[in-house]
Amino acid sequence: MLDLIIRSITQRKLRTGLTMFGIGLGIFAVMVMGGMSEYFTLHVDRGLSLMADKIHVLPESGFFGGSLDDSKARKVKSIPGVLDAYGLLWMPYDVESLGFFGNFVVGLEPEKQAATLKDIKLTEGRLLVPGDGYRTVIGSNVARQLKLHTGDEIEVKSKQFVRASTITHSRNFTVVGIMEFTGTDFDYIIGVPLDTARKFYDMEDTLTYIWVIPEPDVDADDLAKRIELNVENVATFSPNQLRKQIEQSMVVVSLITLSSAVLAAIIGGLSIMNTMLMSVSERTKEFGLMKAMGAEIRDILYLTVGEAALMGILGGVLGIAGGAVFIYYMNEYLASMGAVIFAITPRLVVIALLFATLLGIMSGSIPAYRAARMKPMEAMRRE
Amino acid sequence: MNEREPVLSVRNLSKTYMQGKIPVHALTDVSFDVKKGEFISIVGPSGSGKSTLLSMMGLLDKPTSGSVFIDGMEVTKAKEGDAPKIRREKIGFVFQRFNLIPTLTALENVDIAMRFARVSKHKRKERSVELLTQMGLEGRMKHKPSELSGGEQQRVAIARAMSNHPAIILADEPTGEVDTKTRDMIVALLKELCEKGQTILVVTHDMDVAEKTSRRITMRDGKIASDTQQ
Repeated sequence: MLDLIIRSITQRKLRTGLTMFGIGLGIFAVMVMGGMSEYFTLHVDRGLSLMADKIHVLPESGFFGGSLDDSKARKVKSIPGVLDAYGLLWMPYDVESLGFFGNFVVGLEPEKQAATLKDIKLTEGRLLVPGDGYRTVIGSNVARQLKLHTGDEIEVKSKQFVRASTITHSRNFTVVGIMEFTGTDFDYIIGVPLDTARKFYDMEDTLTYIWVIPEPDVDADDLAKRIELNVENVATFSPNQLRKQIEQSMVVVSLITLSSAVLAAIIGGLSIMNTMLMSVSERTKEFGLMKAMGAEIRDILYLTVGEAALMGILGGVLGIAGGAVFIYYMNEYLASMGAVIFAITPRLVVIALLFATLLGIMSGSIPAYRAARMKPMEAMRRE
Repeated sequence: MNEREPVLSVRNLSKTYMQGKIPVHALTDVSFDVKKGEFISIVGPSGSGKSTLLSMMGLLDKPTSGSVFIDGMEVTKAKEGDAPKIRREKIGFVFQRFNLIPTLTALENVDIAMRFARVSKHKRKERSVELLTQMGLEGRMKHKPSELSGGEQQRVAIARAMSNHPAIILADEPTGEVDTKTRDMIVALLKELCEKGQTILVVTHDMDVAEKTSRRITMRDGKIASDTQQ
C-alpha cells in the first residue's frame, strides 16, 4: 500500500511541496529554538558542574558597583568551614561594552587555576604559572573569534578615569594556552595572572568576586549565610541559589522553545490538514470505489493517515536539514562574533522528527476519518 | 437449467426513502432468483427502482425490509464490519462511468481490487495480466485511464470486477457512456464471460442491450412488471 501513498503524494507535486514546506518551516523553528535551548541546557549543566561547588561572594551593591578587596578575602577565608577562598578580577575585554556579554579578562592567581578551571582541558599550550607576566590562557571562543594560537599576541585595553578625561592603555599579552570548548562562560575568558591584571587596570587591591570552596561535610547554604553575617557589605550565592537562579532562567528558555513548538504545530498541522481535506474530498469517489471493491475502513485509514504521516516525515526531514544548515552557518558566524548559542543534539533531531510524524498523523486523522466513513454509494454519486 | 443452485436470491425486498416528510417507496416486495451463469438484465424507466435494487444487492445500501442471499448467505443480515469482505469476495462491480482510479495504470487498477483481498503481489500480477489479456488489452496495460478509450476503460473495469472471482458481477449501465459500436463489443464480451460460467446482472435502460441478455426483468414503480426468458 505504501506505493499507493507515494503515488498519491508524487502525483500532486506542487501541493505536496507546499505542504512539506509548511511543515518544514514549523520544524525549522523547532530546530532553531530547540537548538538554542539545547545549547543553554548543555551550558548550564556544564556550568553547574564547573562552578556550583563554590560559594560566590560579590559586593553587596552589585556586580560592578561595589568592590571587594584582599582584606575581605582574608576575612572570608578565616571563617570556620571555609577550605579556601580566593579573589578574581573580572573585566570586560571590550572596554566600550557594558560588560554583560562578550569576552572577559579574568585575573586569577596561577596557584588557584586548578580549583577554578577544574577538569577543563587545554587544546594547546599550558596553564599559567606563577611569575607569568603578560601571558594569558584563553577560552575556545576567544581563540576562534580572534583566530589565535599559542605564541600569538592579544591586545588588551584598559580605560582609566583621570579627572574629567579617560586614558586608554593597551598591552599585548602572549597566548600560552587555549582551553577546550566547554559551552560555559569559560569559553569567553582571557585568563591572566591576578597581579598583572591589577597592575594593568590600576586596581591594586580590588577584586570582582571571591570564590569560596567549603570544607567537605559543611553545608554550603549555612556557610554562605555565615559569610554574609561575618563580612560586611558582601552578598553570597550558595551553590543551591546559583542552581535555582539558573533554573529560573531556564524556564524562560523552555517556554520560548515550547511556544515555538506550539506555533510550529499550528502552522504545520493546519497545512497538512488543509492538504489532506482537499485530497480526501477530491478523491471522495475514489475512496467510495475502493469501499465498493471491498476495502476495509483500516485500508482507507492506512492510505490517508499514511499519506499525512509521510508528508509529516518528509517535511520534518526538510525542516531538520534546513535547521541544521542554518544552525551550522549561524554558529560559524556567531563564533566569529564571539558567541555560540546553538547546539544540535541527537535528542533534538529525534524529537523534531517524531514531532513532525505525530503532527502528520494527528492532523491527517480527521480527514482520514471522513474518508473512511464515506458510504460507498454516496461517494460514487458525487461528481 | 432449473437444477442449478441460485447464486443470488432476492426475497420480498422493500426500500422506502423519506423525502422530507413524504415516504417514497423505491422498491416494494421484490423477489427473484438468479442462477449461476445467467446473463440477466434489469430494465425500466428512470425512477422504477432498478438502481436502488442494485445498491441493495451490492451491499451499498440497506433495505427497509426483505433479504438478499448471495451463494446461500443472507448478506442483508451481515454486520457493517463484514460488508467489505462480502463485497470483495462475492461481488464485482462495473459502473457506468467506469470509475477507474485516474492516477493508476490499467494494470494497477485491476491489481488494487486484489490488494484489498490480501492476494500476494505475485498472484495479483499474474491475474491482472491474464484478465487484461483476456479483455484484449495486452498492449495497454501501462496506460492510465486518461490514455484509454471509453471501451478500453470499461474493459479494464470488467477485468477489475472479475479479479477476485466474484459469485456475481453487478453492472450499472455499463454501456451508458459509450457509442453503439463499443456498446455491442462490451455486451458481446459480457455474454462471452457468461458462457464461461460467470453470472452477470446488468441494470440498463438500453433495450438493445437488454435484448441480448438471456433473461430480462422489467421494473415499474418499484415492482417487477415482467420477468421473461429470451
